[in-house]
Amino acid sequence: MIHISNILLALILLSVLLSLRSNRLMALVELMAFQGVMVSAVPLVLETAHGVTFNLILFFLLLVLVKGVLIPWLMYRAVKLVVVDREVEPIIGYNASLFAGLIMIVFSVYVTNNLHLNMLPMDHKLLLATAITTMGAGLILLMTRRKAITQVIGYLIMENGIYLIGTALAKQVHTQYVVEFAVLLDLIVAVLVMGIVLNDINHTFDDVDTTLMGQLKD
Amino acid sequence: MNISFSFASLAMLFAAFALAPLLMGVILKVKAFFAGKQGPPWLIKYHTLVKLLQKGSVYSTSTTFIFKLGPVVSFTTAVMLLLFFPFAGMAPVLSFHGDVIMLFYLLGLGRFFTVLAALDTASPFEGMGAAREVFFSSLAEAAIFVILALFFRLSGSLSFAEYFTGTHAVNLWSESAALILLVVIALFIVLLTENSRVPVDDPATHLELTMIHEVMILDHSGPDLALIEMGAFCKMLFYASFVSCLLFPFQTGTPFFNIIIFAMVMTLVYAGVGLVESITARYKMDTVPNYILTSFALVCFATILTMEFVL
Amino acid sequence: MLQSVFLLPFLAGTAVFFLPVKSGRLLLLATALFHVLITALEWFQATGPLQTQYFANTPEGMLVLGIMSFLFLLISIYTVFYMAEVEMSKEPVFNASMLLFLGAMSMVAVADHIIMLWVAVEATTLMSAPLIFVHRSKESLEATWKYVLICSVGIALALLGSFFIIFSMEMSTVHVPISFSSFNDVADQLNTVWLKAGFIFIVIGYGTKMGLAPMHTWLPDAHSEAPSPASALLSGALLNCAFLGVYRCHQLMVGAGLGDYSGNVLIAFGLVSMLVSAVFILNQTDYKRMLAYSSIENMGIIAVGIGIGGIAAFAAMLHMIHHSLIKSSLFLTTGNILLGYGTKSIDRTRGMLRLFPETAITFFAGFAGISGFPPFGLFISELLIVMGAIKTGRYVVISIFIFCLILIFAGASRLVMQMVFSSRDSDERLVPEQWSRALPPIILLLTSLTLVLWMPDSLFLTIQHAISSIGGTVNG
Repeated sequence: MIHISNILLALILLSVLLSLRSNRLMALVELMAFQGVMVSAVPLVLETAHGVTFNLILFFLLLVLVKGVLIPWLMYRAVKLVVVDREVEPIIGYNASLFAGLIMIVFSVYVTNNLHLNMLPMDHKLLLATAITTMGAGLILLMTRRKAITQVIGYLIMENGIYLIGTALAKQVHTQYVVEFAVLLDLIVAVLVMGIVLNDINHTFDDVDTTLMGQLKD
Repeated sequence: MNISFSFASLAMLFAAFALAPLLMGVILKVKAFFAGKQGPPWLIKYHTLVKLLQKGSVYSTSTTFIFKLGPVVSFTTAVMLLLFFPFAGMAPVLSFHGDVIMLFYLLGLGRFFTVLAALDTASPFEGMGAAREVFFSSLAEAAIFVILALFFRLSGSLSFAEYFTGTHAVNLWSESAALILLVVIALFIVLLTENSRVPVDDPATHLELTMIHEVMILDHSGPDLALIEMGAFCKMLFYASFVSCLLFPFQTGTPFFNIIIFAMVMTLVYAGVGLVESITARYKMDTVPNYILTSFALVCFATILTMEFVL
Repeated sequence: MLQSVFLLPFLAGTAVFFLPVKSGRLLLLATALFHVLITALEWFQATGPLQTQYFANTPEGMLVLGIMSFLFLLISIYTVFYMAEVEMSKEPVFNASMLLFLGAMSMVAVADHIIMLWVAVEATTLMSAPLIFVHRSKESLEATWKYVLICSVGIALALLGSFFIIFSMEMSTVHVPISFSSFNDVADQLNTVWLKAGFIFIVIGYGTKMGLAPMHTWLPDAHSEAPSPASALLSGALLNCAFLGVYRCHQLMVGAGLGDYSGNVLIAFGLVSMLVSAVFILNQTDYKRMLAYSSIENMGIIAVGIGIGGIAAFAAMLHMIHHSLIKSSLFLTTGNILLGYGTKSIDRTRGMLRLFPETAITFFAGFAGISGFPPFGLFISELLIVMGAIKTGRYVVISIFIFCLILIFAGASRLVMQMVFSSRDSDERLVPEQWSRALPPIILLLTSLTLVLWMPDSLFLTIQHAISSIGGTVNG
């Protein structure tokens, strides 16, 4: 029997891995969009076991719209408008990042197994491991890429991971759509604010390389 | 060791052997379609083989018997691979416990002699190609052996045929489908690497400096080249069948349906190669290891997750 | 209605975006005034209880809200006069962001739902980002980028912690709404392992926002680069909001019988913050950065006080109130200094007493207050924390605590003395002093002094209520 949720998770892992070795900004944005759609579908697939409700589908559509379309589109515009040189510029190499991703998954599997979550179904355990890996990969991207825009993408991937962890653990939150909507709204505003700052950074520094910003220190 | 000389097994083996050049034609057709051209005839590869076999071989005076040995060994090892393969769910001609290790060492042996033959010519280009070939295949081999370990974990067997038959058959429709999906993608990358396809290597390139596999066989001619070509077709067939077996379990019960579906899936895989060749550009030489290592990382992901979550 | 406390600033903020500058300023003042009124109504619970899942009127929330509202009124008055002196092309954006920021912070103060609290804290980061980079200089952009990114990532970890805490409920057999008040009722039945993990992530997450070391790196940059009214608001109100998030979880931990664990975590983070700020304050060359590090120190003190508990918890709450008042007064004064000298360098702001006597006196008085001199409230609160620590036998903790206090006082006083008393060659004054800008910081200082001499019963009771759940008392 095939589990659709597992396939989703495998695709999320794939996008995580590819994002670690991706050397082009556009490809990174596309991967993020793909990941956004997959991540939004996870609660839908998990919850369908308990029956599909109108709200569930509506919220799924909203999530896809925000995580899969709106935010990637904003990032896409930012890359188009702001970045002239569309290489990713890693601080540590792509192969090292991939290796870090591997270590991350070993770590997440280890953590998931040592939590003794016997009450959770198997799906959720795999989901938890995937989520921790996604979060870790987001952190890796955030820390090891030089361009400010890749840091935003790293943050968003990390946020996806945390959202997945929430999906695996805190079921009640996902039935309170007001709260979910508020979290989503925060995310959109965060991307908007970061985009505005990014634009200004580009105007002022003529680049979005964060290593240029080192004037404030003690 | 199980030896099956049944009519079905032998027939499948010969059919596969005979159809390998035709399937290569599929790739060319797909590429031509995407380029908006009519493309070469379906049977182009047969014509090439016949043409090559009719010619005589030319040998440089600086070469030794190793140069002549190269094509023969690479051809025979490639044919031997097919002996172990359970085409369309049929029992393979040969199989024994642990034959997977043997299979990939056979592949290695064939490559080793191709490389030796290339080095034997003392041509600087061939040495360069050999170095690249060995580097990239050794990276791909890492991925392959992780895949084998993963399959052993899933099916509990070390025999190639038993991977795809029996109760714990490994394929996309089994319990651990999601992880097999990662493996399929990784294996496809390995397929592209091992068979010198775009984006790792471009078989259609005309510049020695950019070649990997082609440059190693520049000095072979006539029947020798035909053997090498045929060996390459067999190798491609082997990998493509490997991917097909993961995509679909050929256990419908009726051999006839098995064969039909198998042929269709195989055509799809070859068409997929053609598709990838049409829509991707070839990678710069220094990003190729990155690409191959991705397949390694993918199967590692799958393996780690399987170790913990399956069964 | 409880929600009006954040809905009003949100609406007004949105309106200010589109209004012309003059009417925008008026609306800013009017909203500040109305906010104080609503807060007062809520403080005395005059609007009657309102049952919602997401928001609640809690004593600790009211404390934070009360301080914030009072500060905002004075800061907005100051802002109006400050803006008259500086040419700012995007003043509507600044004023609107101030109001939206106030709204987000008020939402933190009244949030009861665990995720809603997170949403509100994240909103404070986003709403305050425009305040920091209004100048669009290289430095302010760098500060904003660091602020937004470090805080967003930190707060994302707090979301993880919130999920863990929610999961600790799902692991046990109880099922209640996800709010702090209902969790507190069933605290003893929650899964302790997940609570502990959740608390660590919450402390790291909200601690980043609160300025606890080693996650404090954004704080000196943001506080020094923001315009002074924004710095005052960040230091006086925002840090308290982040603290509120940590405090809510600490309450939960105490309820679950893990008070020792969470207390020790808070003490450790608090001491590290004090040490870090002590080290960095010694050789500061920028007076706004010096004040920023002092904020890190004071947040550390509050964390230590809460961690120790008992009478120290009372002291910590007292410390929070007085620190907010005095620190925002200091930041407003630095706004005047910056206007007068046009530089943030300590070396080039000598001779303040002769050039700007009123500013100098306010600044020095504020400095005396922030270092804990006797007539000011911080003296009492620090003394009570020391007493509380000695009562519970935490001698090592309190030795480090006192050592840091002395170090910071020594380091900062050298710098402040230099600014206020040493002589200066030129008598150039870019902008003369003005009572309108000098008055708000003085009022803040006087309020702090008044609270020391006479504390209203209602405030006293609210503090007692707020700390009673973590076992804090006034009598030790």
